[in-house]
Amino acid sequence: MQVIGREQRVGLGRKANSKAILLLLILVSALLLLSSLYAAEASVFKRARQSVVDASAPLLEMLAEPISMVQDMVGSVSDYFSVLEQNKALREENAELRQWMEEALQLRRTVAAFERLDGYRAPPDARPINAFVIGEPSDVYTQSMLLNAGALDQVAVGNAVVDDFGLVGRVVETGRRSARVLLLTDAQSRVPVYVEAAELEGILIGRPGGRPVISYTRGKPADALKPGQRVVTSGAGGVLPPGLPVGVVETIAETEASVDLHVNYVRTRLVRVINYDLAGLELDDSPPGDFYDVRDEKPNGASDGPAADDASASEGAEPDSDALTTISARPDNAVPGAASAAVVQASSNDAASIDASGIDTSVGAIAAEGAGN
Amino acid sequence: MSERADVIKQFAKGLTPTLLGLVGVAMLALPLRLFEGTAPLPLIPLLIVFFWSIYAPDYLPAPSIFVIGLLQDLYSGGPIGLWALIYLGVQYTFINQRSYFLGREQRVVWVGFMFATALAGAAFWAMTSLAAGNPMPLRPLALQLILTIAAYPVLAIAFSHLQRRVIAQR
Repeated sequence: MQVIGREQRVGLGRKANSKAILLLLILVSALLLLSSLYAAEASVFKRARQSVVDASAPLLEMLAEPISMVQDMVGSVSDYFSVLEQNKALREENAELRQWMEEALQLRRTVAAFERLDGYRAPPDARPINAFVIGEPSDVYTQSMLLNAGALDQVAVGNAVVDDFGLVGRVVETGRRSARVLLLTDAQSRVPVYVEAAELEGILIGRPGGRPVISYTRGKPADALKPGQRVVTSGAGGVLPPGLPVGVVETIAETEASVDLHVNYVRTRLVRVINYDLAGLELDDSPPGDFYDVRDEKPNGASDGPAADDASASEGAEPDSDALTTISARPDNAVPGAASAAVVQASSNDAASIDASGIDTSVGAIAAEGAGN
Repeated sequence: MSERADVIKQFAKGLTPTLLGLVGVAMLALPLRLFEGTAPLPLIPLLIVFFWSIYAPDYLPAPSIFVIGLLQDLYSGGPIGLWALIYLGVQYTFINQRSYFLGREQRVVWVGFMFATALAGAAFWAMTSLAAGNPMPLRPLALQLILTIAAYPVLAIAFSHLQRRVIAQR
């Protein structure tokens, strides 16, 4: 047996590890580092990165699959011990979701009626692309994920990435078959957001090792902001489509508020890249302010809060009459898709006059009015 | 065994540390999410670079380390050349201290590795903060470095067996 550490000159190490080469390579990496820092986003580096990630995407994909299988197995073992509690929780959630479904169906009818109005312009078509997370570099200061869909699947830089819960991040690099998503927690991440209940616009800034924060840009002062208010993308600057759920306001400070994200990055595996045709999203005749101002005209008791919602949910006798008012009364809990209803409201001021007198009749009235215009 | 097969065998053995480093980089890039994502993965490439720099630098020459570091930079999405520079710096620093560490108890080498980790961590923190323009939080990095240090004794035993019984075996 040989003593460890004795000079060996075999195989790769046939020639001694030359100090000159070591120093040369140190110099080369220092130069690389300097040029990648100061010529940030140099196309050479970007292309190198993309092609390396691209080339190894099939391998990462192959390796990521058994990993998620093992994670699932571990998950199911721990699920086994809490199956009763989970079942109970799911039942309750199911009952709640049924209520939402009823409301959503009602809303769909209302929206369909609005869509027949003359002034209505359809939002741009989204072409969602499903993708799996195949990589998640555990670099403490860069929060990103690699997806197994790229330019060949129509993924483009700037696209929003969502999962079941909400916004995951946005695409910052695309290869042919892979893409990198910058997560909302990355220090470089900047996403324009809107706090619905507080009518406040801001930029969601990632904080390494912590919750992202909203830095206020426009809207009422921060005293309108309360914990638990819903945060959605505002669509400002055309970076991301408006109305994607992001999270809820958690703590509030003088110039910023931290946000509890809906997305749970530990569980993120199957995601959806939203490839909007943003060219069609120019609301030229209604400035962004109008889009939200319509919420000022919320019908009866906008601030009733959760109690009112629970009451209307438990009534059951007249689910139709309260459906729309419940949605607008609780903007911090509105179902996805409510945003498109808001667009329609913005296009016609009369829409805000819908009250609890019953959806079918008011829809009819507005449809008639629209025809009159 | 024919001479040719022997050459291939020796070559494969010589390549093992480099491949291990690349596996370490791949592990850092995969969505492993240890302990429900609460614990970051130890910096296994750093451990590999340190170990072979002390015990058998000929098996992990500078070009191998350069490739390992560069690949980690490309996957992580951070500035390119950062980890390559850090790993090469660790090799440069500790290749000069080989004579001190060789033949010492593992505990002493472990303390050496703590220094190497602290050095690498400090360099990483300083350069990332410099690039970002404001100081980065230390806690997530400290956690990763502590886990890396904690992983050393176990992996060092495995690596020394590998080096002694397989790689250096003719």
